[in-house]
Amino acid sequence: MNILIGTFLLWALALAMLSRLRRTAPDTVAELRARAFSTMAFMVPRLVVGLIGAGFMAELLPVGRIEQMFGESAGLSGIGLASVFGALTPGGPFVAFAIGAAALKAGAGWAALMAYVTAWSVMNLNRSIAYELPLMGRRFLLLRSAISLPLPLLLGVVMLLA
Amino acid sequence: MLSPGPADAQRAGRRRLHPVAAGAKPVAMQRDQDTPPGGSTPRKLIDGSFLFILALAVVSGLAVWVLKGPGRFWELLLRDLGFAAALMPKILAGVLIATALPLLVSRERILGLVGPDSGLRGLAIATAAGALIPGGPGVTYPLTVGLMGAGADLGAGVALVSGWVLVGLNRTLIWELSFLPPEFVALRVGLSLGAPVLFGLAVRHLLARKGGGR
Repeated sequence: MNILIGTFLLWALALAMLSRLRRTAPDTVAELRARAFSTMAFMVPRLVVGLIGAGFMAELLPVGRIEQMFGESAGLSGIGLASVFGALTPGGPFVAFAIGAAALKAGAGWAALMAYVTAWSVMNLNRSIAYELPLMGRRFLLLRSAISLPLPLLLGVVMLLA
Repeated sequence: MLSPGPADAQRAGRRRLHPVAAGAKPVAMQRDQDTPPGGSTPRKLIDGSFLFILALAVVSGLAVWVLKGPGRFWELLLRDLGFAAALMPKILAGVLIATALPLLVSRERILGLVGPDSGLRGLAIATAAGALIPGGPGVTYPLTVGLMGAGADLGAGVALVSGWVLVGLNRTLIWELSFLPPEFVALRVGLSLGAPVLFGLAVRHLLARKGGGR
């Protein structure tokens, strides 16, 4: 449902922009069509292959074990471990937050949970392979990941000290 | 729209391993030199990045075939093909918006808002844009590419993507709050709020120090 609403909003925005373009600069419409087509031709094969590859990789990861192991994690090593699990957790927000909630019930502290959710947000191997590498390129992905790397650990430590 | 992205990153990556050192110039800066605003340069449809993703898919697909059996392999393949097909309308809308953006908004305007010299304000604007975009990765990434093609620098691009992944309103309100305690969510968002701007600053400083674009 959420996906439908999002798609609808996006198409409304896209159509509004197109009709504005048609009114203000009709001569650019052909150019827009050509560029949109070449961008799609570039993106679609990458996205499809990336999504399929990420799906296979997700299948190979023991998701059930993640939940179990991270529920028992504590202290500094727990934060490191939770960060690694966060980066490895496949699937959409549903999966990651469900695992987080289950780990919390299983006894995980807020520090480990903070590291886990933050690592999943910024590192997320699954999203990197399925989307960011295909669409943004390797340089963008590596640069952004390198800079984001300390954040899960930092926030986890902040929670430990607080 | 994507032009200098993947292919250039690939070439740069081959020259030197360090990602920051490798690509000296922000994507937007490179565009300045060889293409008109928002213009598209020819790009290779098959490049190193694509081959890397393809290899990953083939290897993990083989592993699934061997470890979990052909039945599971086909099941996953069909599921993800269906998912990709369902995603296409959204991707197309994202691409149209990203393509129309540079044609509708002047390059000066975007440079002023989120260009290399937009300062902290530009990074804050990019972060807010990332937090407010209601779409998933299939929309946010094409939009980032569109903005970077229209004048946004790499720092603003990183701030936008970071704003989306860390404090995206849609995901936080709909998903995170449904599963995790509200106090925790508020604390996490509060602690993460400044990070996208800091990441953008770090990118700008790194690129400037490496003697590239800015």
